Amino acid sequence: MIHRILDSMWGQANALFSPFRRRRWVDLALVASVFGLVYGLILMGHEVTDVLRPQIEIDLSPLSLVKYTFFSMMRGLAAYLISFCFTLVYAFWAAKDARAEKLLVPLLDILQSIPVMTFIVPLLLALVAIFPRRNVGIELAAIIAIFTGQAWNMTFSLYHSLKSVPAELQEVGTVYRFNWWQRFKWIELPFATTGLAWNSMMSMAGGWFFLMIIEAFKLGERDFRVPGLGSYMSVAAERHDVRAQIYAVIAMIIMIIVLDQVIWRPIVVWAQRFKVEDTAQTAAPQSWFLNLIRRSRLIRRWDHWRARRRARPQATGKAEPRSAAARAEVAAPWITGIALLLIGGLLVLGGFGVVRLLSQLQPGAWWYLARADGLTLSRVLASILIGTAWALPAGLAIGLSPRLSKIFQPIVQVAASFPAPMLFPAVIGLLAAFHIGLGWGSIVLMLLGTQWYILFNVIAGASAIPSDLREVATSFSLGRWQRFKALYLPSIFPYLVTGCLTAAGGAWNASIVSEYYNLSGPTLKTFGLGAIVSQAGEQKDFALLAASTLVLALTVVIFNRLVWKPLYALAETRYSLTK
Amino acid sequence: MHAVTHEIICELKGIQKSFDRGNGKPLRVLEDINLDIRANEVVALIGPSGCGKSTILRIFAGLISASKGKVYYHQQEMNGLTPGVAIVFQGFALYPWMTVEENVRTVLRAKGMAEDDVRTRANRAISLVGLEGFEEAYPRELSGGMKQRVGMARALSVDPEILFMDEPFSAVDALTAEGLRAEILDIWSDTATNPSSILMVSHDIKEVAYMADRIVVLSANPGRVRTIVENPLARPRDSRSPEFLRLVDQLHDIITSTELPDVEISAPEPSLLSDTVEPLPPAPSTDILGLLEFLEIQGGTCDLFQVVAHTHVAFEKVLASVKGAEMLDFVDTPKRMVVLTPLGQRFVRANMDQRKDIWKEQLLALRLFRIIGEMLEMHHGELKRHEVIAEIQQRLPMENPELTFETLVTWGRFGELFAYREDRGVLTPE
Repeated sequence: MIHRILDSMWGQANALFSPFRRRRWVDLALVASVFGLVYGLILMGHEVTDVLRPQIEIDLSPLSLVKYTFFSMMRGLAAYLISFCFTLVYAFWAAKDARAEKLLVPLLDILQSIPVMTFIVPLLLALVAIFPRRNVGIELAAIIAIFTGQAWNMTFSLYHSLKSVPAELQEVGTVYRFNWWQRFKWIELPFATTGLAWNSMMSMAGGWFFLMIIEAFKLGERDFRVPGLGSYMSVAAERHDVRAQIYAVIAMIIMIIVLDQVIWRPIVVWAQRFKVEDTAQTAAPQSWFLNLIRRSRLIRRWDHWRARRRARPQATGKAEPRSAAARAEVAAPWITGIALLLIGGLLVLGGFGVVRLLSQLQPGAWWYLARADGLTLSRVLASILIGTAWALPAGLAIGLSPRLSKIFQPIVQVAASFPAPMLFPAVIGLLAAFHIGLGWGSIVLMLLGTQWYILFNVIAGASAIPSDLREVATSFSLGRWQRFKALYLPSIFPYLVTGCLTAAGGAWNASIVSEYYNLSGPTLKTFGLGAIVSQAGEQKDFALLAASTLVLALTVVIFNRLVWKPLYALAETRYSLTK
Repeated sequence: MHAVTHEIICELKGIQKSFDRGNGKPLRVLEDINLDIRANEVVALIGPSGCGKSTILRIFAGLISASKGKVYYHQQEMNGLTPGVAIVFQGFALYPWMTVEENVRTVLRAKGMAEDDVRTRANRAISLVGLEGFEEAYPRELSGGMKQRVGMARALSVDPEILFMDEPFSAVDALTAEGLRAEILDIWSDTATNPSSILMVSHDIKEVAYMADRIVVLSANPGRVRTIVENPLARPRDSRSPEFLRLVDQLHDIITSTELPDVEISAPEPSLLSDTVEPLPPAPSTDILGLLEFLEIQGGTCDLFQVVAHTHVAFEKVLASVKGAEMLDFVDTPKRMVVLTPLGQRFVRANMDQRKDIWKEQLLALRLFRIIGEMLEMHHGELKRHEVIAEIQQRLPMENPELTFETLVTWGRFGELFAYREDRGVLTPE
């Protein structure tokens, strides 16, 4: 829908400006936004290098909100940049080094199931200890905490892409003696680009989930808040300023849409050229922003300049770059060997540390944790069940109608990217009005963030049902229930599994905030594993934090192995429409 | 005309190759391969699927290393990539994110060439294969034939001494392939320039007769050189001339006698007989049924190559079906003829239920199916896929167990000997 509106607007604007064939206004806008960006960055630079204050003041005026939103966005982008670099190094290493792979892949699996809460407390304490007088420490901690919500997904995507490069494409590289760098830039990175682009988009959305917790973190009496959208929201909720809360939600939505339109959409469209399928696909995605940029003269000049620079014969001789690469190749096993040893050593040390921490726990604590784990697991499953119960019919209705899916798909996408904790104050207020405690209410809170993944996937699956299969159902006049059982459910099954898997991951994450809510006013809590993780973090009870994280990570990993993996296998063999 | 020189460019000596199957019993794919490529010649490798044609080509190129034996290039023992080699791939292997021009330039840049040379060499290669005007196109915009031209341009751009082609025209339509063959021979026949020689893998007998000076016929399980046929025909060759057709016929005979021997050439030793079983050809039951129906229409007998010509089914596939039908005693194969046996005739004329009965009876005459039957009984009617595969691996160490299992399932299902549930991966009795 957004596209259509923007496209039609752009069409009109285009007609309006058609006398100015050069379209200088595109360049003007480009220059203006660059200046705006620079100004924003200077502001942020001041904030980051400012003296660390014991308490931070959050101004609830809408004008300051612009600044705060910009700060949050920059933190998200900085975290994304780190995630991207991390992904390149980690995934490439895991894919290329068979020894490292055995360690790095399981490690990634574990890292993925550790909640942000476990990272943030040690991070904050360590970084503030390193930068005791400036804001740098807490800013860095916030960025790294956002990074932990983004990176793993992308890394897995790149790793799988690198492992699945077709053999013949690699053989070309071998026969013509590509060195590792040439292989990477000409074969592997291009091959992985499409998947990486999509996953970047998803990861960025995942990174926002804990924005509010990260930006509004208080540890006991110490205030670790940083100015941003998340802290603005928490202050607004604390003061029961409904108008400010609404402003914050709107600002968040605008930020998501702007990032989607200005960064992700163009990247995904651009990444289309790296698609491996040879067939010309139908209905390629479009980006008005990319089209706009391509019309800019400044950008075009830059392109020309680059093309000319490329065309110029390179003065450097032929032997030089080769030998440099060759040297790198010789050095590589050394460096990776040492790095691997370092990581292994750190893991062993960390393992000892954790074991020492865990040994402080009383045996009864484990039983306590197990009960909490069971309770939270049931909440997670309940939220998925409820989510599926309404999202399945709704998604089918939307996905089967091209008209509806065109309207709803972008809305659902924004809803899925929206960090649900920002809505918690309002929902908790509602729950209180109906006298529902957090025990049951936390299921609703989990649902708030996770149902969209299910809906989104069901819509995608329903709109991908081949029309001939639907025609069969129509021509044999199958009834509604029969049609659902024989056609719709089997053909969207793989999508449903993906949706539920993503939703389960989201629900576990959400349990941390929904079972223990302290972002505005008095702390609300209920018994559960998420609550224990949160509380242990806040009380700096590192033994309990380690134990509860361990239980949580184990549950997620085991559940993935025992439930989702077989379901995936079933979806791929029996319910795959492409085979 | 080529001046025949016998200088050997590249040579394999005593090559043996096994692939690790991860169960301690490696799969032997090549056995004692001795082969050379001489200057100014075209060598073709031909044989049934699983004879290791592509593996030989990759060992020559140094892409994979042999388990035993040596590779020589100009009398020097090679370890790793063989220099002076370029490969044209079956699936084109073009980088879809690069234009035609970039695809070619990239491999030249990898050689560390100066950008000026890269451009001139790429342009020369592109015009050599007639791709001018397509420099800026992306592979997805091109037809199969045009894509393979890009593959050829890329290979020729590095000025290889030997050009390797791995079934280069099997993904290209027949008409285009015809043209490409002539063109590649044109480029090769210029003795002043590279490539000096061509090594190609093919499954098309006519293609081999048209292109090659020496035709290496391989047999499968494990792959061995069966014989090497010298092609006496002068170039340019006319594929309708009587001499040409005679050569094609002769090649057909050689391959048939390799694959469907009239007398058992290598009867297994009696001591081994007790636990070996006959390997199943990769022919699903429907293919065998189709073959029998076809023979019935033809009056019960047909030349093997007439079957190929009439049905437009690939030679290898027909061969597998004939082998399968022969195992079940439905056909006989005197020389190149395929003849329905009386049992085969009874089978074709029977109704569906009777057909299934006959089929089942014939299956039970095969040792492998009797073993599976016994195993089913022992496992109380639920036999896991991996157990069957382990059994096949043990009894048929040279065969691909997954493929054999697939054939086994289609045969057994048709004969209602057992049912197979794919989602659970278990065999159950009918």
